[in-house]
Amino acid sequence: MTEQVLSVDDLTVSFGTRLGRARVVNGFSYDVAEGETVAIVGESGSGKSVSSLALLQLLPVPPARVEGKALFRGDDLLTMSDAEIRRIRGNRIAMIFQDPMTSLNPVRTIGYQLIEPLAMHMGLDDRAARARAAELLEIVGIPSPGDRLDDYPHQFSGGMRQRVMIAMGIACNPDLLIADEATTALDVTTQAQILEEISRLQEYMGLAVIWITHDLGVVAGIADRVVVLYGGSIMEEAPIDDLFAQRLHPYTRALLASLPKPGLDRPRRLEAIPGLPPNPVRLPPGCPFAPRCTHAVERCFSEKPELRNPESSHRVACHFDAGELYG
Amino acid sequence: MTPGIDQGVGDAGEPIAEHRSRARATVDTVLRNRLAVAGLIVLALLVLAAILGPTIAPYDINDINVADRLTGPSTAHWFGTDELGRDVFSRVLIGARVSLLVGFIAVGIALIVGVPIGLVSGFYGGAADSWLMRMMDILFALPAILLAIAILAVLGPGIVNAMIAIGIVYTPIFARITRGSVLTIKESVFVRAARSLGATDGRILRTHILPNVTAPITVQASLSLAFAILAEAALSFLGLGVQPPAPAWGRMLSEGRGFFEQAPWMAIFPGVAIVITVMAFNFVGDGLRDALDPQQRSVIESRGAE
Repeated sequence: MTEQVLSVDDLTVSFGTRLGRARVVNGFSYDVAEGETVAIVGESGSGKSVSSLALLQLLPVPPARVEGKALFRGDDLLTMSDAEIRRIRGNRIAMIFQDPMTSLNPVRTIGYQLIEPLAMHMGLDDRAARARAAELLEIVGIPSPGDRLDDYPHQFSGGMRQRVMIAMGIACNPDLLIADEATTALDVTTQAQILEEISRLQEYMGLAVIWITHDLGVVAGIADRVVVLYGGSIMEEAPIDDLFAQRLHPYTRALLASLPKPGLDRPRRLEAIPGLPPNPVRLPPGCPFAPRCTHAVERCFSEKPELRNPESSHRVACHFDAGELYG
Repeated sequence: MTPGIDQGVGDAGEPIAEHRSRARATVDTVLRNRLAVAGLIVLALLVLAAILGPTIAPYDINDINVADRLTGPSTAHWFGTDELGRDVFSRVLIGARVSLLVGFIAVGIALIVGVPIGLVSGFYGGAADSWLMRMMDILFALPAILLAIAILAVLGPGIVNAMIAIGIVYTPIFARITRGSVLTIKESVFVRAARSLGATDGRILRTHILPNVTAPITVQASLSLAFAILAEAALSFLGLGVQPPAPAWGRMLSEGRGFFEQAPWMAIFPGVAIVITVMAFNFVGDGLRDALDPQQRSVIESRGAE
């Protein structure tokens, strides 16, 4: 087995709200190996973004409470001091956010913003940082990068801004890149370009990637392994090919069934999953998916299923075997 | 109006030939506003008068000539003379100096104190925010002139103390405006992105938040200059600001009051000077707001189109 870059163990995140404690992430454990792409998939509110913000201590801590462990190359990210975690952010672990239109400061030039992490973490002087910034723009595929350093974000299109964000992310040669819905706001062709760009960088730099998304199409294109998150808990985890070949959890099946399938003769209605995701303030004691599950029995409502088959690479949190459920 | 028209020029992603910076666009918008241009011209003349005052004034401000006292405007004395025979035109000219100086320094004090309070308050929130903003509320709750008079009563009258008093009175406005803008900006994705790249709070405040809140602060500063000048005139009128024999518009107004029936020019010309200065600052402030605050601007433009 290759070396683990990140090893998250029993991560639990909750927020104090007026209505009670909202348990958004509940005992989330996963590993990311060097050079690997792990996709975290889930609906809005499944805890996928919160779990990654928690890793870098980016959640406001009075309302939020973060428990568990997150070992990054052996050091626990969650117990680091402010100064220690700042040295990790952007330097060893970088993050790209969803909305490229607002992730850049509108009053600063692209060059200035690219130089910022270089100056902060690598202590490069102006000239060296500028040269490196131009090189980074070139790496992410922006034409005539030297001339564009003095441009402002509004002079870039959405796709190009996302490329700039990626350039900022990889500026200090991080070990791990967390892409939080990084291509969701982009059109499909741009999205494909960005995905390709990241795969290329990954090969070139040996970068590990956590890809947070709700788009299974994107997952199919880039991920090595998929973690399906629901109500803050893992429902299923598998290498990408295994997951698409054999979906063990009813939620994963429902999720894939809700995708449009091109190539069918007749357009058909999309199969939505009935019901709503669980309220994190009042999580059911049993399986979080039970209220919406067509296979649920009494036991599902009272007893939370453990992740099974931990020895193999395909894990699932369901009381039933796939054979029992789908014949 | 198309919302994206201003920032949308290069949005297609092709490098655009003409590089139009934000500052340049702001200047263009201000220059298209005729009132703002008029305001700017008046202000330029005033600044010139303030700088060159002593060299271009036809008489010394304290040239007493009792024989010519209370004479009306003439070619010798454009604005007439006062009860001691001093040239009103020369005194109004030199008075510009006091008004502008007090205005700029008072607003400068308010900016230097108010903006950091607003930044800290908005950025950190919590107890610091509550304490600072409640203090600002207390200052804000008192009528401006009354508060300035109270402060001068403690510090004693004089031009420096007047600057401090007016500065304190206008501090809460800047604290509030800054805080409000910071609250919006600090939630931006680029602030989160900067933090995820390892930026410290200080760096985020300095390089990401402050530059994004300058627009409303600039507008408020130019409008506050008008109020500060008015406040200085009021304080001098009451004898709390500039002390005799130095000329100040407010004091000239109060001195002229006693001779209003025989020599109305003694009060009218300093009064007109105050009105023109305040209006000039207001026009420039409005022009800046149109250029820097897109939401306000669209309201103004849609009104103009009716």
